[in-house]
Amino acid sequence: MPLLALQNLTIALPPHADRPLAVDDVSLQIGRNEIACIVGESGSGKSLTAHAVMGLLPRGVTITGGHILFQDIDLLKESADAMRRRRGPDIAMIFQDPMAALNPVMTVGHQVAEQIRAHRAISEHPALKQAQELLEQMGLKDAGRLLKAYPHQLSGGQRQRVMIAMALSLSPKLLIADEPTTALDVTTQAQILKLIKRLQAEREMSVLFISHDFGVVADMADQVAVMRHGRIVESGATRDVLGNPSHSYTRALLAAVPRGESHLPPPPDSEALVRVSGLTKRFRRGGLFSRPPAVTAVDQVALTLKRGETLGVVGESGSGKSTLARCVIRLLDPDAGEVLLDGVDIAHLKERALRPLRRRIQMVFQDPFSSLNPRQTVGDIITAGPRILGEDARQARARATDILSLVGLNPQTMDRFPHEFSGGQRQRIGLARALMLRPDVLIADEPVSALDVTVQAQVLKLLDDVRRQMNLAMLFITHDMRVAAEVCHRVMVMRQGKVVEEGPTRDIFAAPASEYTKALLAAIPGRGRTSNRPIP
Amino acid sequence: MNFARRFFARPTAVFGFAVFLVIVLIALAAPLLFARGPLSIIGMPLLPPGSPGLLAGSDVIGRDMAVGLAYGARISLLVGIASTCCAVGIGVLLGAIAGYYGGVVDDLLMRVTEFFQIIPAFVLLMVLVAFLQPSLTSAVIGIALITWPQVARVVRGQFLSLRSREFVEAARVIGMGDAQIIFTQILPNALPPIVVVSSMMVGNAILTESALSFLGLGDPNLMSWGSMIGGSRVAMWVAWWTTVLPGLCIVVTVLALNFIGDGLNDALNPRRRG
Repeated sequence: MPLLALQNLTIALPPHADRPLAVDDVSLQIGRNEIACIVGESGSGKSLTAHAVMGLLPRGVTITGGHILFQDIDLLKESADAMRRRRGPDIAMIFQDPMAALNPVMTVGHQVAEQIRAHRAISEHPALKQAQELLEQMGLKDAGRLLKAYPHQLSGGQRQRVMIAMALSLSPKLLIADEPTTALDVTTQAQILKLIKRLQAEREMSVLFISHDFGVVADMADQVAVMRHGRIVESGATRDVLGNPSHSYTRALLAAVPRGESHLPPPPDSEALVRVSGLTKRFRRGGLFSRPPAVTAVDQVALTLKRGETLGVVGESGSGKSTLARCVIRLLDPDAGEVLLDGVDIAHLKERALRPLRRRIQMVFQDPFSSLNPRQTVGDIITAGPRILGEDARQARARATDILSLVGLNPQTMDRFPHEFSGGQRQRIGLARALMLRPDVLIADEPVSALDVTVQAQVLKLLDDVRRQMNLAMLFITHDMRVAAEVCHRVMVMRQGKVVEEGPTRDIFAAPASEYTKALLAAIPGRGRTSNRPIP
Repeated sequence: MNFARRFFARPTAVFGFAVFLVIVLIALAAPLLFARGPLSIIGMPLLPPGSPGLLAGSDVIGRDMAVGLAYGARISLLVGIASTCCAVGIGVLLGAIAGYYGGVVDDLLMRVTEFFQIIPAFVLLMVLVAFLQPSLTSAVIGIALITWPQVARVVRGQFLSLRSREFVEAARVIGMGDAQIIFTQILPNALPPIVVVSSMMVGNAILTESALSFLGLGDPNLMSWGSMIGGSRVAMWVAWWTTVLPGLCIVVTVLALNFIGDGLNDALNPRRRG
């Protein structure tokens, strides 16, 4: 008897949604002491499936058919009160964003203790003691002190450990983990995944793990179900599904996962177009009465960039890679150092003197949703730059037609508004906006981190094609080593504002010099799988 | 249009819009309906509503109340709309500059804004109007001066959050100047709350003008709802209609404007879009 069995589960979306069914006739079994993964892209229904098991569907979303059997009891027939009593002792859940799931005005200890006391008749003090033991089991050092801390005083990894402690405080038989490491840095992600695996083995519980990342799935799952448009297209043992996928969609997804291997031909040899040296940026968080010490976000960074070459800047959040990019493109004013563009130092130019040079360095932004003005049409957005430079509006539109075709969009979409496009299409529009100015340097700041893996592969290929066709110098900012390996000739690893090491991508991946880079590479999920997987 | 459908989906918004439309039409048509003007005396004082030829009765010196109410609507709406336009103009400009540039500029402009906010508004208004001589213009200027800070605060908040959006950075990267970024990129995205605040402000300005006129600080040559109440307060106990009818006009107009504001808020608020 499986611990959890979904039988023909069907979940309907509200009437005006883009499709009638969020989850369509899904059947799935999770045995005891087993980790099952549901993997899929955004909108595949994987998260709603998990929430349905918890009885926590959002308003307007209703279960229209099927059964959810937990130890042979149909949870859909349970009363709301009975379901409430099951959450915790029977089924518990952890979420993607621990900051949003924790109460910001209550101490961590109080929240963990409250969870225990909601289900067991014990008083505050022993509950706190149990909480401390739990935090220690989660590998948190100094648990006694953490009990008295508030969520904002913890790091992302610590918060997720606290969430896991809360979920496990009542020893549930099933833990549902909904993208629990998506918001975390890659090294923290590796630690949390290891923790979940260890706890699962120690407690012999079952885990339903939701993820979009095949690397994570390969590391975690005993069983995989691949979801698309609300349906399970393929399921089975992890080794079979990943090693020998039978469905074309699974194969496409696997092919889209960046392999972490560099196959780029070397860039054409030329003079350096951009030379950065001694670049430093400090941030002061000044109050009215106090002057706290400045944080050095970028510390004495030097780099060179040739035409036709892509330099990857990789690092975890807070490493200063985005600040570096914004100093080079002068969205921020650096405190010291120089940025030579064709021999001209633009690091300290006044805005007025800088404006004519801005055309030459362009940028593709991270967030496909906030990087396009929602009130302007695509045509207006991408022709604004040339029109500022005095280009005739009709001529700019004619060029926009060509550029839109180049980035793979139908030029007839020029009169539409950004909200009518998908995330991947919006990134193409953002690229078109940059290319309209015929730049020499293109800075891409995490251009694919908000995209699904298949779309991500397409956009990466597009960026590389455009770089080659237009002989662009590209500065590529990313937190994802796998992505960097795909598109970068050279890689620069940053940590706490400083350059840790720099070199040709292949060398850095094959023989990292610093411990930090080694740790980053070791933390890449699914590493063991990527090397021996047959190339589809 | 989608926006209109969302706006008129609320019964209160429909009611507010209809009432406001009727009041505007009456105000516009007043000179055509009552050519002799609101100040001429047409008969005995304090005749009750429904007396021959007097739909709303007559006031303490025998002027036609109905004519007064119709002409009063012109003044009330004019003051409400004109002062709100001025206040929105000042508030948007200063709020946009403060929010966009931040830092010292923001600190400076916000201290100025606070200066206006910490002075009891109505006292400042009375002093201003008395100083400038009571007239329609001084009332409009005075009301605009005491109300612009709330617009400036809303606009500043919007600009603070919008200026760090990536599309604004993108505009800078393609070489757009500050003025163009402020007016073509950020302001259109900051409009919804400005529109909502403005619709509420018109109602408040009408109330404030009434209070000024009631205290005798309105334009002596013009009839407004507030001055009608002020002039009739001696007869309040013997002739209720002299104060209640203009009071009712104020209440209904302000209520209508608030309903419109609520409706706009719902229609423009993206979080409520289905």
